[in-house]
Amino acid sequence: MSSPELVVLGAVLALVAAVAVLARPRGASTVEFYLAGRGVGTATNAWAICGDYLSAASFLGVAAAVYVSGVDGAWYAVGFAAGFVPVLLFVAAPLRRFGEFSIPDFLGRRLGSERVRLVAVGVVQLVILCYLVPQAVGSGITWELLVGSGVAGLDPYTSGVLISTAVVALLVAFGGMRGTTWTQAVQFLLILGALVWLAATVVAEGFQYGSAVQGLSAEPLANPSAGPDGTSLVTGQNQVRPTEPASFGEPGTRYGGLGQFALVVTLALGTAGLPHVMNRYFTSPTGTAARTTTAWVLCLAGAFYALAVMLGTAARQLLPGAVDDHPWLAELTVDGILVVPEHALPVLGRLYGGEAGLGVIAAGALVAVMSTVAGLLLASAASFGHDVYERHINPRATQRQAVLAGRLTTLVVACLAAVLALALQPASFSAAMPSVVATMVTWAFAVAGSALTPVFVLTIWWRGTTATGAVAGMTTGVVVATAVFVAGALADGGLLREVMVTPTLLAAPAAAAVAVGVSRRTRPPRDVEASWVRMHGTAADRRAERLARLTLDDARGPQGRGVHRARR
Amino acid sequence: MDDDVDAQDTPAEVDATFRTLRRVGVGYFVVFLVAVIGFPALSLTLDWWSESRVLGGMSPGFLLAALGLYVFFAVLGVAAARLSTAVEARMLGGTADEPDDAHDDATGHLPGRGPGTSPDHGPSHAPSSAPGRAPSVAPSHGPGARPGRRAHL
Repeated sequence: MSSPELVVLGAVLALVAAVAVLARPRGASTVEFYLAGRGVGTATNAWAICGDYLSAASFLGVAAAVYVSGVDGAWYAVGFAAGFVPVLLFVAAPLRRFGEFSIPDFLGRRLGSERVRLVAVGVVQLVILCYLVPQAVGSGITWELLVGSGVAGLDPYTSGVLISTAVVALLVAFGGMRGTTWTQAVQFLLILGALVWLAATVVAEGFQYGSAVQGLSAEPLANPSAGPDGTSLVTGQNQVRPTEPASFGEPGTRYGGLGQFALVVTLALGTAGLPHVMNRYFTSPTGTAARTTTAWVLCLAGAFYALAVMLGTAARQLLPGAVDDHPWLAELTVDGILVVPEHALPVLGRLYGGEAGLGVIAAGALVAVMSTVAGLLLASAASFGHDVYERHINPRATQRQAVLAGRLTTLVVACLAAVLALALQPASFSAAMPSVVATMVTWAFAVAGSALTPVFVLTIWWRGTTATGAVAGMTTGVVVATAVFVAGALADGGLLREVMVTPTLLAAPAAAAVAVGVSRRTRPPRDVEASWVRMHGTAADRRAERLARLTLDDARGPQGRGVHRARR
Repeated sequence: MDDDVDAQDTPAEVDATFRTLRRVGVGYFVVFLVAVIGFPALSLTLDWWSESRVLGGMSPGFLLAALGLYVFFAVLGVAAARLSTAVEARMLGGTADEPDDAHDDATGHLPGRGPGTSPDHGPSHAPSSAPGRAPSVAPSHGPGARPGRRAHL
């Protein structure tokens, strides 16, 4: 590792740590530790949600998927961005207005059932683990490329996984939701800045987007594949038109007829069931603010993904011509094509920004991993610490004990994720999957979208939802998604396999149907009307807004109060 | 703030708002669904969609997956958020900082008071379970909108 890279990486990590210290929790209460006192503003929360959501799968994985699959890889980005539309339409505002601490807490209180709460905790922890492992894998890949050497006798990948996971776990355990919110907000601005810088640099160097797509589409798309004689380039077959070779700009490089739909539906529905993203809505001061926050997120995430797709294309076009002038690229490529597609952005950064450029992109990648891991650990802590420890293990826990339980949960889940990431070395996957990071995250989306989203939406929008129905729906979602995925992975190929490996298209309707069917045979909670007024009314929002205005008026003094009266 | 009468919603008001927002949400979701299913379908059915060049060498299909759909999602989200918030402000109370909306042009009743605050809107406490009962205030544009009323955005 050279000096410029060290300086960039050190500066970024120091900034994140400083923010975490400055924004540490104010007092040892669970509302403060898990929800940052429910006072996170719209813009800050939008940045933090983006930092939470835009993980290694987005920063490294989307560009990698486009690099290796062309337009079919761009559907990852479309699916990730699309996910916040259903959240805005159906979830954000009612969820915040109902309040609570976590998804299991919301479902448990809305349906008046501890059974629902505990089943939801199980599903939430499963989703978190499925999401955490690829983040840790992403940190290992990035460390491998950036540092290239391990510490204390460990290999680079292992060092990356262990160090990044340990740093984030400590920051979260120390900073709670308030510290995590501000670090995630800063982290998002850093990774967006890194993408903007790289995009501006490649364009300034003469990259033309349209011409690049046209040029890449003019010849068959070939990628490295390991064979008995070593790794060589193999031209892919078009999945839509099997007699033709795959092409960068045309559909069929990865998916056949139904694959794109299944992928987009899986990603779009999964977002509403992601615990770390949904938990952020509880930190908004009002339901209206939560909804507005989501609109901001759609704008910011759209800009991010558009840049990621462009840079994946740029890497595909520019790297083959650069190998001769940059010998270090030869080690990472086969005939100019990267062996590990997740290296696309860091390599592009090094090519155009030298060692400092590599430092900027690699730091951005590590930061993307860290911010998402932070959100996941906090969500895990909230669902276990609040929903299991406080309610079932130690109902008489003091606030200090409850916060301590949350902190310990953070550390335990981080250790588990790191161990699993070490067991899943990415090299064993890359030959079969275009981007191991994006693919693993897709699986997390599938479980969330199949088990949690249908039940979540029904609970918010259908009075008839019952506890028994919700449990049946969640169980069906997990079982069907897992069974269909395993069957799809074992299948030979074809349209059915494509749908089965992104199983939400089948599992979510099944979960919803079972939840509705069982709910119709059982009795809804008695207090459903009170829940409805709380969830769909705006009285609490208006009280909060009025309180905020009064506070502002007081802060401004007599002149401020006079202005407000005049408005009235 | 218990003495603040504006800070209470009745079940009937909430139910009417809920039904309107549900219609808005479903309307926008259908538009969203048509886009995310329709555009991939075009790339599978129309050769022109993937092979023609429209902007600097990009095909319409690539242009949409690389840029167009993110703009579409953002516009859809902003429009849905503004409409939903406007519906809530009119049907459930709204804030005192809306002087332009102080008197509704069409009915003359104060905005934000839900069904029943004006003679042309039926009983003040509509049964929440009344099937198919249309809410008295509805958005005038966007998916799920109903004609004849003006939503202040």
